[in-house]
Amino acid sequence: MEKESQLVRLCIEAACQSRESVEKWRRQRRSLERLPSQLADSLLRCLLARRLLFPSLLEIFKDNVEAVDLRHENSVDMEWMAYIGAFRYLRSLNIADCRRITSSALWAITGMTTLKELDLSRCMKVNDAGIRHILSISSLEKLCISETGLTADGVRLLSSLRNLSVLDLGGLPVTDQALNSLRVLTKLQYLDLWGSEISDQGASIFQVFPKLSFLNVAWTNLRKLPNLSSLECLDMSYCTIESILKGYGDKAPLTKLLVSGATFMDDAETLIYIETSFLSYLDISKSSLHRFSFLPCLKVLEHLDLSSSMMEDVLVEEITSIGANLRYLNLSKTRVGSAGVGVLAGHLPNLEILLLSHTSIDDVAISYISMMPSLKDIDLSSTHIKGIIHQVGCEMDPVLSLTSLQSLTHLERLNLEHTLVRDAALDTISSFHELTYLSLNGVSLTDISLHSTSSIPKLTNLTINNAVVTNLGLVSFKPPATLRMIDLQGCWLLTEDAIVSFSRSHPQIEVRHEHAHIIPSQHISSNRPSPSRSTWKNSQLNQEPKIPVSPSFIDQRLKYGREELLSLQYSSSSLASPHDSDITKRSIQ
Amino acid sequence: MRKEDTVKLISAEGFEFVIHKDAAMVSQTIRNMLTSPGSFAETEHGEVTFPEISTTILEKICKYFYWNLQFASGKETEFHIEPELTLELMMAANYLHT
Repeated sequence: MEKESQLVRLCIEAACQSRESVEKWRRQRRSLERLPSQLADSLLRCLLARRLLFPSLLEIFKDNVEAVDLRHENSVDMEWMAYIGAFRYLRSLNIADCRRITSSALWAITGMTTLKELDLSRCMKVNDAGIRHILSISSLEKLCISETGLTADGVRLLSSLRNLSVLDLGGLPVTDQALNSLRVLTKLQYLDLWGSEISDQGASIFQVFPKLSFLNVAWTNLRKLPNLSSLECLDMSYCTIESILKGYGDKAPLTKLLVSGATFMDDAETLIYIETSFLSYLDISKSSLHRFSFLPCLKVLEHLDLSSSMMEDVLVEEITSIGANLRYLNLSKTRVGSAGVGVLAGHLPNLEILLLSHTSIDDVAISYISMMPSLKDIDLSSTHIKGIIHQVGCEMDPVLSLTSLQSLTHLERLNLEHTLVRDAALDTISSFHELTYLSLNGVSLTDISLHSTSSIPKLTNLTINNAVVTNLGLVSFKPPATLRMIDLQGCWLLTEDAIVSFSRSHPQIEVRHEHAHIIPSQHISSNRPSPSRSTWKNSQLNQEPKIPVSPSFIDQRLKYGREELLSLQYSSSSLASPHDSDITKRSIQ
Repeated sequence: MRKEDTVKLISAEGFEFVIHKDAAMVSQTIRNMLTSPGSFAETEHGEVTFPEISTTILEKICKYFYWNLQFASGKETEFHIEPELTLELMMAANYLHT
């Protein structure tokens, strides 16, 4: 979508300022009729986000809006649908997770032949009767009805929607027979059937969809998936798999395979029918695989998730030969230790994300990690990392192991939660020039750790949980200028007063702690000018919802006497339009 | 202000706004009209007519051009828009790519 120009953005914000401002323009019928659809769509989205939208206001959009996204709006019901049903150019409607939508509410959109996309996911009150209303929308190309109240009979009815290319039936009791009745949908490219009741007998039906490129059959009893010549993405997570894509004809040009939590009948042999030359994404986490001899064949692999798998130090070698393309490697909760990381060092020139949490690695691994030059994100949580190496039998000072990570010039995120890292190990953390996210957690951390983060130049998010941070430590803490969020949960020594005084002196930082009270945005958009603003005009008309308000906030009307206020009013009247001074007068009364 | 440095913007009702060229260039559409190599009448005379934009809206647009220049040079003030004008101004801004 084209980016909105700045003035358009300002106009939309001014239009959605309050209920009163909406009333000022909602009767401009001729302007509304001419409003281009992309502006109308933005205006509608903004009204919804500001909670200014109500059913009868939808009426003004009937001649211009093309896309309506009401996801998660609990108030959306039959009345809303009645107005939406009158939209003449509606192309896309998303009412996923609107729990008040019933089958009869869908009656309103019957026969809306402009509609191409409809998302009813998790509208649990929609059942087979509701689907009958949708059948008249023959233009539908995309239909998402996962986790609704449909039965296999309802799914069977969908065969009349011949233009469907995307069909999400996740979590529905789709049987082999129901799937068989959908074989007329030859335009299907995307089919989601997770948790359905399909079996090996029904699996041959997939072959009648010549364009099928995405298939999700996770959490089903499917054991044998036949060869599908156009398949690019396959999800068979949590299945017991006998064979994948076995059969004659052109091999599926698979790029993405997810078999998380799957049980393989023949271990790695199960995967031999897969064409490996395009596979770039592989998730074999939590799977039963013991052998990884197929990994060296995956020459273009970029994303490899091996978490909670049987991968261990002696098998890591299988990864090194394909290391050149890897961007993401997850080895969390495996038996890989420092020795395994050592084998990988120098073989992963493009790796950006490395996850090693819940492994047995120690400080030795850190020097190996520092030989992976493109790393941006490292997770070392719940490991034996100390941050300090004490040389055995010599009198030299202990070495700070984290220092070697300084050579990673792209490092943005570092997670050291639940490690053995103590204050002293963090001494050199300020030399991490690109670091934006840092996470620490542990009872052996004190104010010193907090203070050593002061000079990390680009830090935006800091987590220090369950540490011995004191009130004095927090108040004397000089946060980096870039810091936007500090999470101090579990720092039990901190009192409410200290948290409040910290947030008052650093209003740009969001503080998370058991004693921190989140100020609801309602307060901010109330009709009170903020003391930080210079003129009436600014404060009245630009109430940014994100400006944090300190608890010491006082109403301007209390702060100034009546005479002072009147003089303020006259001093600004030369600048302000009649409308502004009108507001000023109102707030004085 | 020399004449070469100015642009004349004409509203639907025929009102003329003479503004600085730099200000008018805030609009991508006007910029294209004034700088395109073809011999647009706009390029030659420094005049652009907007038969779709009313005087009130065009005046507001001109104010915005100057506000934008100030804003870009670091002066942070608010640009106030009356709710009554939002719809028409939005459409004009969309057309002018500003």
